[in-house]
Amino acid sequence: MGNEAIARGVVEAGASVVTGYPGTPSSEVIETLQRLGQGLGIYVEWAVNERVAFEIAYGAAIAGARSMATMKAPGLNVAADPIVSAAYGGVDAGLVVLVADDPGPHTTQTEQDSRWFAHVAKLPMITPSSPQEAKDFTVKGFLLSEALSLPVFLRTTTRVNHAVGEVVTGEHSEPRWARGFRKQVERFVRAGMSWNLERHRWLNKQLARAELVAEELGLNRVEGSGELCVVTEGSAYNYVVEALGELGLGARVIKLGLLHPFPRSFVSRALTGCERVVVVEELDPYVETMVKKLVAEEERLRHLIVLGKDEGLLPLEGELGPGLVRAALAKAAGLEYEPVRRESPRAPPRPPPLCPGCPHRGTYLGILIGISRAGYRRDEVPVFGDIGCYALSVGEPLRAIWTEHSMGASISMAVGLKLAGFRNPVVATIGDSTFFHAGVQPLIEAVHKRVDILVVVLDNQVVAMTGHQATPAWPRTETGRETKPVRLEEVIRSIGVDNLVIVDPENVDEVADAVAKLLRTPGVNVVIARRPCALLDARLHGVRRRYRVVEEKCTGCNACIAATGCPALYRTPGGKVAIMEADCLGCGICTRFCPYNAIVPVEEETR
Amino acid sequence: MTKVVNILVASVGGQGGLTLSRVIAAAAVMAGYSVRTGETLGMAQRFGSVKSYVRIGVDTPVYSPVFEPGEADILVGMEVAEAYRNHHYLRPMGLAVLSTEEKPPISVSLGKAEPVTMKKLIEALESHGAEIIIINAPRLAREAGNPRAANMVLLGAMNAAKRILPDNAVEEAIRAILRGKRAETSIKAYYLGKEYTGKHKPSKEHWEDKAHASEQT
Repeated sequence: MGNEAIARGVVEAGASVVTGYPGTPSSEVIETLQRLGQGLGIYVEWAVNERVAFEIAYGAAIAGARSMATMKAPGLNVAADPIVSAAYGGVDAGLVVLVADDPGPHTTQTEQDSRWFAHVAKLPMITPSSPQEAKDFTVKGFLLSEALSLPVFLRTTTRVNHAVGEVVTGEHSEPRWARGFRKQVERFVRAGMSWNLERHRWLNKQLARAELVAEELGLNRVEGSGELCVVTEGSAYNYVVEALGELGLGARVIKLGLLHPFPRSFVSRALTGCERVVVVEELDPYVETMVKKLVAEEERLRHLIVLGKDEGLLPLEGELGPGLVRAALAKAAGLEYEPVRRESPRAPPRPPPLCPGCPHRGTYLGILIGISRAGYRRDEVPVFGDIGCYALSVGEPLRAIWTEHSMGASISMAVGLKLAGFRNPVVATIGDSTFFHAGVQPLIEAVHKRVDILVVVLDNQVVAMTGHQATPAWPRTETGRETKPVRLEEVIRSIGVDNLVIVDPENVDEVADAVAKLLRTPGVNVVIARRPCALLDARLHGVRRRYRVVEEKCTGCNACIAATGCPALYRTPGGKVAIMEADCLGCGICTRFCPYNAIVPVEEETR
Repeated sequence: MTKVVNILVASVGGQGGLTLSRVIAAAAVMAGYSVRTGETLGMAQRFGSVKSYVRIGVDTPVYSPVFEPGEADILVGMEVAEAYRNHHYLRPMGLAVLSTEEKPPISVSLGKAEPVTMKKLIEALESHGAEIIIINAPRLAREAGNPRAANMVLLGAMNAAKRILPDNAVEEAIRAILRGKRAETSIKAYYLGKEYTGKHKPSKEHWEDKAHASEQT
């Protein structure tokens, strides 16, 4: 897998400090190092959020330790502040920032094109196309970083991070730890404005050398020949190579590994002798803009016709695929091409649900029932959501959350609504890891401004959605590192909230009563709904019990399914409800909603 | 002749569709082929639609991790509704390896969408001339002592029909990815799927007669 290859690259480069925050499709880099890199003795741990991760990696790199920070695209935004300043300070050992974009999108809130961020931060950015390059470019990223004394972005997309393929490995090298930290205030104190101006000039000088170093590292290349030229990068390159073969089209493929600074001289040379240039890339016309600027500025290239997204050859949204690229190249080459058209079958929708046994189901049912018990209709009390599994409560039948915006925004947006004069109560729902990541400051804001809100922290004690990573509440990390667990309730109490109640989400009525009471109580009130993620708990401790439906008692009223939406429940051809026993994780929440007591635990002997 | 074999694995999150694609990929690498896989999955840990693409270049390098509808040589359907959702990926005269397992989506359970029956799936596949293997994979997996190894039963069935991967490469791949006792029962499940397919040459008739009946027990 691309991410495993990046992890291998980290080992081959001898990085000693690797940190990040989980986020699909970036998470497997650190997971792989944690699983397989135990013998290396390097530091590989999750950080509380992406900016902290970057700052840790930066602190290591200015002392001569090779380091890496990993994140998905929205995480880059969280880390933006320290990254931009780090360009002025520079590094004393390689620092690679992995940022994984998600064209599609498959699992991300936006189709952010992080390539532009390299311009904002004024830092070099490189991008691989395959698992092999994912490994090779990771190593080269460290070399580029050291050659320029700047942090380097390794920008990937889902189709590289999660693509599995054969990889030829290299030698691994000894981890490079800190050599020492020398006081250099003009580099590391950004309070000096004349220093900042001077460092900006230094940064520009370093960037001017990037293309030369990239050349030495072999990051860009030209394949094939012809008057039709295709400029491409990243996963789009794969579709280009196959499409040209399938169309029987000879062309010159200009493959960019260095995205920023734009390798101007290389592209200028490579375009010599071209007539028609097609730019194939995902998301925004980033490379296209650069190529068009180059063509406009260089007399000898001005006759070139450059085709890309501006010309409508490829879409601005969604990911590319073999079909889109084939059609685009055929059109650009003036070939007749009739794509195979197959209509998508009309299958019943399967939106992602909360898992069977998920404690969030009980929490949201409790919140919705609590709203009624407090005397409100469901549509009168907004429930703000946040980033995590619990966002899946937006689906049928719960339809619980009204928003899911960015990490921590549930609380701040609820505060904003109240400050704007909204009279009804509001509920903010946020997971434990998301609270640690970006919910603490919004809660401080709520307390300080005396806003009446109810915050429900869904504490499943793990970063569940991205594959069960550690939170700051863990007494020991994945690598066995002893920690001092940070207690959620201690943090929340210390902020000065008015009321704090801890409930068990499997007890829906306990949740509902707490919510109903606190919705009628002024102040900043917090409910911690605490129960471990059902999947992880079952994996660690086995399934406590399972439930089955007593067929004779079931009337087929469907109340259990209509209330819970548990995917382990289904309707039989006979019009009754049954449970996929192997999938039931035993929360028993469905039993509360069965008017006929038809759902019972599976007896030991019948298991 | 240069040839890339395209395989689409359609499953429900938690069934082991991704593990299956990883095992196929690893076995193909061990057999000396070029491989790419891609996956399309939602945000759920369980019960979402999962589609994984596997591309094996027997004597040619593979670049793209994905392919288009109408380009799969083999469709492995781990679940009836998901196989139906993706049947348009199968090329004309392609091979469909189907498990009898059904995990109705919530839209069906809530009565908001029509369920997909095996009959409907078979009709859809026959409309593009597919060769169809139907196998009660969960039952054979339980027989192998590993209820979670339905994916390996289907791999056995697929390999019995198409002989893409050498058995030793499959065994090595399973041991590399699953480890321990789970690996051994998975290997057993693989061979059960392979033998069953070789012996019974299951067809849709066979499914209608027997496999479905055994599902009831």
